[in-house]
Amino acid sequence: MAKFCNNLKRVIRRDTMLTKMVTGFVAAAVLTVSAHAAPAAPSEIKIGTLYASSGAFAAISMPVYSGLKFWVEQKNAEGGVFVKPYNKKIPIKLVAYDDQSNTATAATLYNQLITQDKVDLLVADSGSVLTSVAVPIAREHKMLLIDQTGTGASFFTKDNPYIVLTADPVSSIWPKYVADFLTKDGAKMGVKRVALLYATNDFTGTQATAVRNFIKAAGSQVKIVYDQGVPTSTTNYTVLINNIKATNPDAVVELGYPNNDIAFLRNLQDSGVKFNFVFNIYSGLETSHLLETAGAKAMQYTYTYVTSSVLHYKPEFGMGLDDYRAAWEKKNAGGKITFGFNAVAGYTTGLVLENALAKTPSMDQLALRKTIGDFSGKLKTLDGTFQIDEAGAQIGEITPLGQVIPDGKGGVKFTVVYPPEVATGKPIYPAPQQ
Amino acid sequence: MLTYSITAGLVFGLYFCLVGLGLNLVFGVMRIVNLAHGDFLMLGAFSAFWLYSLLHIHPIATVLIVTVGFIALGIPLYYLLVPRLLKAKDPEMLSIILFFGFSQVIEAITTISFGPSDRSIPGRVLGTAPMHVLGQSLPSAWIVSGAVSAVAVGCLYLYLYRTRLGRLTRAVMVHRDEALATGIDVNRVSAIAFGVGLALAAVGGVFAPFMLGSFGPAMGVDINIQSFAVIVIGSLGSPMGTVLGGLIYGVSEMLMQTYFSSWAGLLPYVLLILILLIRPSGLLGKKVRSA
Repeated sequence: MAKFCNNLKRVIRRDTMLTKMVTGFVAAAVLTVSAHAAPAAPSEIKIGTLYASSGAFAAISMPVYSGLKFWVEQKNAEGGVFVKPYNKKIPIKLVAYDDQSNTATAATLYNQLITQDKVDLLVADSGSVLTSVAVPIAREHKMLLIDQTGTGASFFTKDNPYIVLTADPVSSIWPKYVADFLTKDGAKMGVKRVALLYATNDFTGTQATAVRNFIKAAGSQVKIVYDQGVPTSTTNYTVLINNIKATNPDAVVELGYPNNDIAFLRNLQDSGVKFNFVFNIYSGLETSHLLETAGAKAMQYTYTYVTSSVLHYKPEFGMGLDDYRAAWEKKNAGGKITFGFNAVAGYTTGLVLENALAKTPSMDQLALRKTIGDFSGKLKTLDGTFQIDEAGAQIGEITPLGQVIPDGKGGVKFTVVYPPEVATGKPIYPAPQQ
Repeated sequence: MLTYSITAGLVFGLYFCLVGLGLNLVFGVMRIVNLAHGDFLMLGAFSAFWLYSLLHIHPIATVLIVTVGFIALGIPLYYLLVPRLLKAKDPEMLSIILFFGFSQVIEAITTISFGPSDRSIPGRVLGTAPMHVLGQSLPSAWIVSGAVSAVAVGCLYLYLYRTRLGRLTRAVMVHRDEALATGIDVNRVSAIAFGVGLALAAVGGVFAPFMLGSFGPAMGVDINIQSFAVIVIGSLGSPMGTVLGGLIYGVSEMLMQTYFSSWAGLLPYVLLILILLIRPSGLLGKKVRSA
């Protein structure tokens, strides 16, 4: 009997221990599961970026920044942006500093955004020059760089997962339609000799290399008879135009930043030299700005990229071009920044971020990168189809080639001339002698 | 191509004579380095732009307006900044710091007021058809800008060498303290020279849209570098040395564009280094500066 009682006590004691252990395990499991289900949400999502309010790149930086800011304000007005890991809308805090177009200042400020401000998302300033310093910094800190318009091909390597180009195509494919037109349709019209003049920076230098390679690969009768780089700071092209004229080209491809294009077009008009085909970048990218500076006469019958600031893509996500432009102009009334492609680019970046935050399983930088890769090719915005390659370079959103035509009211309009599937008209070649 | 480059370079150089002239005059008279020179040029460009856009005033008429306006601005500005500066132990070094800050303020205020975007005036305003000079066809805007620059240089020459005020100015340039000892009102003479220096920069600004394609609030820094190259080549402190410096700079720039276009941006720095190594006092400089 005494033995039985002892055994009974032992069983009861062991059951108590078991009960305690099971209870403990269950409690721990419940806590773990609940922790995984809903981690504590931050009060705000910090997006860090830079802009250039002054200096050489202000003209392309401020419109991009205005577009991104537009998106942030729009989301905050809706109560924030939906962030999947926290399963709720969270307000955005835009931490933005002015780099004054200075790469050294930009490098310091990118570091500050990552190490001091500890932003959740890092967005580069506009253009290849101010993005170039961000690429190694972001990589070193294992921070995904949301590259808005820095298209230099050297930024994108397969061993660097910490960069994504959001709003325009990488420079190495951007001029594909220009080269294709010259070697196919252009060749049929009599284009044999091409002059290539470019500003020596990542953006236009890469495009010049691409033009060279595309023309070479086409194996057509078209050959490059003039190939010169000039400093990005170049503000007079009169002598260069005379030197190009001496090579007797059928087509001139001039690749530069806005100030280069303005000076080139003005000098071309003032010098009285006529070329049958002239291509420049910014007549299509910043049309309003060039109308105000170079003037409609200087732009007429030139060829350019026809961008999403003019073309009406059918967006499946975000606002359409007309609605966005009207809303943007209402917000930016005052006329210090003109609406153009870069204003669309900033907003497009916002749309990409919105998708990434809504679909990412966690806020880990590589998880965000993987999420963006997953919806590549499936996101259609007012900027066209967002599509990146494995290195993060934008291979969608390719801009067709267009010709600037007088609209009869003192302004200009665009005729898309290439590729044939999106063409809205035939090119006027040779350009009329005005 | 060579002949065209040299011809275009001479016209372009004439414009850069005008750009450097005011900077050299101010340095010559006061021994202060006006690092805001490029920003005053930018203000001249904005003046031309607004006068043309709003009131349709022709740039040639604007030249007269900005000349009077910037002399009137320069004289009180001199009394506000310079006399205190000249009392310091090292006015040259302090002037660099002071005018650098002043340059930043001007750029910031302009950016805030008008935005960061570049602006321009249509080239046809100075003539639609190209003109022929020495058998070469050049934009009429260049020819007009070059001609006005030549006239401005001529006017400065007359002011310095054919007027009483000019003689007093040259006396101050040679030796400020001796000029003071002989009873010359050094501050009045310097104030007028400072005003004239700003006016020359502003006149250069009026033609910036035609010579440089466009202009914006941030253009000052580049203009300063080019201006320093021009005045160091000629001779620091000798306004007429600027003419030679400008022409050499203009022709070199165009030759570089033709034969070594990628390196053209290095030209101001290369010229500065070469001149400082070979002839530190400038091509027209003397061991003891005299006006």
